[in-house]
Amino acid sequence: MSASQSAVRSRAEAVKVSRTFDWLIMFTLFFVILGGYHVHFMLVAGDWDFWSDWKDRRLWVTVLPIMGITFPAAVQAVLWWRYRIPFGATISVMGLLFGEWVNRYFNFWGWTYFPINFVFPSQLIPGAIVLDVVLLVSGSMQLTAVIGGLGFGLLFYPGNWPVMAPLHLPVEYNGMMMTLADLSGYHYVRTGMPEYIRMVEKGTLRTFGKDVAPVSAFFSGFVSIIVYFLWHFFGRWFGSTAFTKGS
Amino acid sequence: MKLIKDGIAKLSFVALLVTVTAAMFYAPTASAHGEKSQAAFMRMRTIHWYDLNWSKDIVPVNDTMTVTGKFHVFAGWPETVAKPEISFLNIGIPGPVFIRAGSWIGGQLVPRSVTLELGETYEFKVLLKARRPGDWHVHSMMNVKDGGPIIGPGKWVTITGSMSQFTNPITTLTGQTIDLENWNLGNIYFWHAFWYAFGIAYIAYWARKPVFVPRLIACEAGKHDTLISAMDKKVGIGFMVATLAIVAVTMESTNAQYPITTPLQAGLLRGMKPIEMPARTVAVKVDSATYRVPGRAMQMTLTVTNNGDSSVRLGEFMTASVRFLDPAVHEDDTGYPDDLLAEEGLTVSDNSPLAPGQTRTMEVTASDAAWEVYRLADLIYDPDSRFAGLLFFTDEAGNRQMVTIDAPLIPSFI
Repeated sequence: MSASQSAVRSRAEAVKVSRTFDWLIMFTLFFVILGGYHVHFMLVAGDWDFWSDWKDRRLWVTVLPIMGITFPAAVQAVLWWRYRIPFGATISVMGLLFGEWVNRYFNFWGWTYFPINFVFPSQLIPGAIVLDVVLLVSGSMQLTAVIGGLGFGLLFYPGNWPVMAPLHLPVEYNGMMMTLADLSGYHYVRTGMPEYIRMVEKGTLRTFGKDVAPVSAFFSGFVSIIVYFLWHFFGRWFGSTAFTKGS
Repeated sequence: MKLIKDGIAKLSFVALLVTVTAAMFYAPTASAHGEKSQAAFMRMRTIHWYDLNWSKDIVPVNDTMTVTGKFHVFAGWPETVAKPEISFLNIGIPGPVFIRAGSWIGGQLVPRSVTLELGETYEFKVLLKARRPGDWHVHSMMNVKDGGPIIGPGKWVTITGSMSQFTNPITTLTGQTIDLENWNLGNIYFWHAFWYAFGIAYIAYWARKPVFVPRLIACEAGKHDTLISAMDKKVGIGFMVATLAIVAVTMESTNAQYPITTPLQAGLLRGMKPIEMPARTVAVKVDSATYRVPGRAMQMTLTVTNNGDSSVRLGEFMTASVRFLDPAVHEDDTGYPDDLLAEEGLTVSDNSPLAPGQTRTMEVTASDAAWEVYRLADLIYDPDSRFAGLLFFTDEAGNRQMVTIDAPLIPSFI
């Protein structure tokens, strides 16, 4: 076979090779995104995602979607503009969640024995699906950023509330009131993490009474819109092909 | 050439196998908490832990023990370390091998950070419940915001039994009794698996058709619009509507199931109650202090005045949790860690009883290998070459009186 001949000899063979290629790329893509996104997320969202006693109504709700929309926006840009594939955001957050679970199970529980109910990750899948579908239906980056980005921020808290609510039951402990999440943080000793490092319930959002989570979610959604634009362009640039002129 | 290359390859492979095997057979566990690495001046001039007691040496799983004692917040706190205005009474253990069932300063529960006053002495207690079997080094510890952890003395404690037997029952204010060790686990697994399956279903819809190559070819040919059908959009909208509906319904049902929830609790606790120390009747002036590097000994010239009504003798010098005792005056029977205890480490030129009203100049030498082992000798390399510590004088009735000292330290290399 010469270099100019095709590697496949029939349409059926071409389809088969193409499908094999699909699975190989999907597998590789999943783990490459997982690696990059996971490192990014641990660095920028870190403790807010590691510990249940950091998952508050203000900063957890605000920080995680803003830091979480980055890779979905970039991967979405590559997959949509180059392939018209509308699952870039979903595959990104699923890669992240898989990586987070491996980390939490083997590192936090397997090595250091923190209970899983104290160190489970947050999940971003509902927001990612909405982000993908808005792009699919509209085909517009602007609409995806505005509607999808806002949705990404807004859906984060309610999407995680079913697993968080049981940890916010109040308990009286030696004359002080805490939530079960606070108590986990107090009981399960983190030698390198004194209590004052915990950034929870800080800020000036005091005029909304107890209903600060929706306000934080809206704020998070607004900033997610801006971050979406930025990272979408990163993705567009990363996914572009450039040719240089030979001398 | 090929033979040489093959030989190197084989030898490299054998070497790799030997290394891996050796690592498997010799993998020592890490012990202690790096307390020796902390700058000596920081251990000497910040928090002085004393009268410590570890209530047990062996604890079965689910059983409790306490670490109790006092700590003095040194008035001559170094400028290079942030003041303990936001501090947290921690416990130095390798992760949650115990759970911290309670911690108190001056009788007040301190699950949060506290403000400590320089020059005051506080009583503390940490209640620990054994969780994971093994031999663990248990330290007292104070974290200071922007100052770092200030670790106290550590003692080995053995936990026996099986971690699978550990329980952590808690009764909530809504009347439920739960085991915090595994509470909510099924719920977490279920919802994460559910959303993961939902995401897989969404991706599977697209992955059932050719994904990359034909789509790339079509896009390169400008046929983007042919790749998304009306049915694709309907399915996508279906997924989005289902997502929104599931989130809304589960939010509502969760609120119905848990109508009472409270936000995370945080805040600084002020007004920690210090110990009301009796008025000091012994005054000490440090005339000079020298650390003799070859002899691993610190020599101090002290002028001591007894203003009390009972004669006193110097029984102990303590710095950075290392205790130097004069056995003729004071012997330790508290089970203090051996490596931190120099039972005959204190020599005083004239340690006869110092009568009331009397003043005496004493040559005091604190010598022990602990200076080297605990890297206190490294003080001479610190940016502020001063030492500090506690002197304990014992009166005729056996009462001990604590006096703090703080002075420049001159190293002697010959």
